[in-house]
Amino acid sequence: MSLITPLYDSLWNEYLVWSALVALFTFGWLYHHSFFYRSKDGENPNIDNLEVGVFPAENDNLKLELAWTIVPFILIVYLTYISWAPLDNMWSAASSADGGHFGDECNYFMNESSDLYFDDDEGLKGAFKATCYHTIEITAKQWVWSFDCGTLEAELCESGFTEADGRAVPHLSLQAGNAYLAYMTSEDVTHAPWFVSLGVKEDVLPGQTTTVWILAEDVEDFLLLCTEYCGDDHAYMMAGVSIHA
Amino acid sequence: MVVSPAVNSLPTGVNYDQISAGGCNCHAAAPNAAVMVNLEGLPEEYNMSETYQVTISFTGGPSAEGNANLGGFNLWASGGEITPLDATVQSNGPSEVTHTEAGNDYTSWTVEWIAPSHGRDVDFVVHVNSVNGDGNAGPEDQWNKLTLKVAGSLGPGLEEADPYKVLATLIIISGLLLTITVLYGFYRTNPDAFNWEHLAPWLTEWLTSTDHKKIGTLYFVQGLFFLGIGGILAMMIRIQLAVPGNDFISQDEYNSFFTLHGTTMIFLAAMPLINGFANWMVPLQIGAPDLAMPRLNALSFWLQPFAALLIFTGVFTGEGADTGWTGYAPYIVTEGAHTGVTMWVAGQIMLVASSTLTGINFLTTMAVMRAEGMGWMQMPLFTWSILVANLMLFLSIPAFGVGLIQVYLDRTISTAFYDISAGGDPLLWSHLFWYFGHPEVYVVIVPAFGVISEVLATSARRSIFGYRSMVYAMAGIGVVAFIVYGHHMFTSGMSPSLRFVTMLTTMLVAVPTGIKIFNWLKTMHGGSLVYRTHTLWALGFLVTFTLGGISGMFFPSIAMDTHLHETYFVVAHFHYVLVGGTVFGFFSAIYYWYPKMTGRMLDERLGTLHFLTAFVTYNGIFWPMHKLGVVGMARRHHTYFITTDDFTNLPEWAAEWNLFISVSAFLFFFSNFIMVANMLISLVRGEKAPADPWGGWSFEWMTSSPPPTPSFDWHNPPVLKDANEHIAHEPGKLGQWFNRLMVPENHEEVSH
Repeated sequence: MSLITPLYDSLWNEYLVWSALVALFTFGWLYHHSFFYRSKDGENPNIDNLEVGVFPAENDNLKLELAWTIVPFILIVYLTYISWAPLDNMWSAASSADGGHFGDECNYFMNESSDLYFDDDEGLKGAFKATCYHTIEITAKQWVWSFDCGTLEAELCESGFTEADGRAVPHLSLQAGNAYLAYMTSEDVTHAPWFVSLGVKEDVLPGQTTTVWILAEDVEDFLLLCTEYCGDDHAYMMAGVSIHA
Repeated sequence: MVVSPAVNSLPTGVNYDQISAGGCNCHAAAPNAAVMVNLEGLPEEYNMSETYQVTISFTGGPSAEGNANLGGFNLWASGGEITPLDATVQSNGPSEVTHTEAGNDYTSWTVEWIAPSHGRDVDFVVHVNSVNGDGNAGPEDQWNKLTLKVAGSLGPGLEEADPYKVLATLIIISGLLLTITVLYGFYRTNPDAFNWEHLAPWLTEWLTSTDHKKIGTLYFVQGLFFLGIGGILAMMIRIQLAVPGNDFISQDEYNSFFTLHGTTMIFLAAMPLINGFANWMVPLQIGAPDLAMPRLNALSFWLQPFAALLIFTGVFTGEGADTGWTGYAPYIVTEGAHTGVTMWVAGQIMLVASSTLTGINFLTTMAVMRAEGMGWMQMPLFTWSILVANLMLFLSIPAFGVGLIQVYLDRTISTAFYDISAGGDPLLWSHLFWYFGHPEVYVVIVPAFGVISEVLATSARRSIFGYRSMVYAMAGIGVVAFIVYGHHMFTSGMSPSLRFVTMLTTMLVAVPTGIKIFNWLKTMHGGSLVYRTHTLWALGFLVTFTLGGISGMFFPSIAMDTHLHETYFVVAHFHYVLVGGTVFGFFSAIYYWYPKMTGRMLDERLGTLHFLTAFVTYNGIFWPMHKLGVVGMARRHHTYFITTDDFTNLPEWAAEWNLFISVSAFLFFFSNFIMVANMLISLVRGEKAPADPWGGWSFEWMTSSPPPTPSFDWHNPPVLKDANEHIAHEPGKLGQWFNRLMVPENHEEVSH
């Protein structure tokens, strides 16, 4: 099982490797110089003849400076490149001309199934695609979430209440293997649902509709937390999310 | 697994923590007088440890004979034990009971109360709920509440400490300690003349001085004082988070404490510390007798303590600002936000004015008052960093000012800039704030770059490697700062194309920052590193700032940011750059320039002890936060949830790490008092400092320690020589243009 999502994990691992390399290089250098070049007895203590009121002799090397401008630049171009492809997947427009990454909204009269699947093509490591998606609505107010499954069958989406951490909280039940597009709005201030195990969150704004893709892959039950500060009971503004088989 | 509640009841009953703040608000918003609550069987004064039978009942409301169900209740007592007598009631803790599913069919319940043995007064709170039996919690249902006090033979018990009072007391104690320290400082200046006749002019001198050194010291003292206050706030936060579900402070107290912690640390601690050193060192480094506009400078400072008073006013009334330092609209203009927010906004407006005036003053000073021979490209790097920082601040802070004034008007005279129902824009504030907020975090880190450049070069006895690329890198950061702010809003509902553009620009920030780090490392190459306390802090800065920079690279990758945004990973990142960067940089500056400022050397042994304890405990606080954020701990939450059987959240070890973090936080907090003690002891007993104790080259080391007033002779200003003759005589094209523009006309070619 993945840490967060396969997409997140692949990016995270790649970034972690490069972070470790950069840190190793920098700290190795720092460690070496801070011991090797410490002041020792019998050494000229004033190497560059620093003198009060005199701008010091220049100490530079254009080639080196260009090297550590260009090499990090290449690295970040690469890191940008691998972060770029998932954007299309994350923000795939609903019902776009080419069908988007998640197709069109499922046709309920035909009983069409969403069929979430992995797609490793096009540099999209661990990204999901689906043949079609379901829509749900999420409304937030201080300090309670409400989920509206619309006309979806109970098997696909069901909302209600449950108990978590000793309190009654809203509950959303989804079916694994389906893609859901949530249209969200708020009745008062800004909130943000964080689907912790799915690695996504998006602000919920009053007077505006935002969307988030909920790609229910694994069977799991997790807490949904509010991650945009919204007042007194911000921390208690949670919900239980169950993804069943 | 998940229990789907039966259609017509809440089998778990209701929880007192939940309803004590908002009432039974799932059954209509406000209590309804139509519901009559009765609590029978309690004595006026109880006998210790005796058992009483208590009956809770209600009449009125929509509840009626024949309904599917009738109602529910919650009874809470501040002492003793309440036990259920039958299946209609369940226990919710030692002194709290509520109905069960079976209990929904009654309007009266009986329980047993065993009176406590302590003999103090006991409070009872009962909530009842009269339902219409349609099976849904809704506004048709009605609820009410009754509170009752049962006297004990020993009278009222000790009241629980009000955290606001604890905080206010600690602030007052800190203020008193500061006053005593100042008075002691005065006493030491002349032990024989400790009387009002001498104190009054001495105080007047400090309060009315326009000397850049005195104002610098005032800024510095203010900065350190509020670093302590911000630290106290952080300690209260850490006590609360030490264990999950802690109730040391309530949620609204927690919210205002983290708000004030952020505001205090950024605006009242970091900025004044930076301004303190800028005031002291910029005129000295460029060979100017004072700043260009000394009175404006005094005004800039004196706006600060009053702004601080306004910002903290809310705390002393128990209604401190609770919006987060970002103060997101529309929450900030809603009625739910504390009344202290208005004062907080007013204080911030004063700080905006202060920063704008400071910006004008420093930019002017640097443009027109540089010593002869000092072109732009011969300015010491600390001065350059202040130039870049003030330019950024000066260009970005008006946006914040505009936003604050809008919020202030919204809150006081009901304008509708952020009233969504009247057509206000929910994202306008975020844009205005982050257009300022992101440059602002560079405003506090760039001066630390300047300090590290000075300290490392002097300690390694080398000229700084790549002076020009250092300047260009800082200027580059200054420019890029304005086009990256959207990375704070990757999950905000902002247009995806804007998010994409700011992702690209944010990635770019790594390049100039990398140049600076590698240049610092190369500066040490071939040097002769002298280990002093300021050298240790500079090396420590390189470690922590690099780590903070690396963790920063995870955010512009939006697919990861949607997970990491608003978690402890963010908290870890910005504390690594703001504490490990700015604060460590300025600790280094304190050890580096303290001899110049006071004429006394600091104790190196105490300094090393401070570095070792603070550096280790600091990493103990913030390193584990990375992991906590990734596994699901959200920031700005007054508590956190360990995985229960039903729903996954934090693993069990998260609680242990939080306790570890809290302990480290206290050690870090107290370790910094070693530095304060060091400064005070050295002020009295320290060795006399020579003019140039570390062997630096810039003008501040030319003056005596402490420098005279005015710092340089108006008629005989210093002249900068240049070890690189060819550069001094052949400035580049850009340099020539700037020189024509800026250097006074009577400027003559420097002769060597």
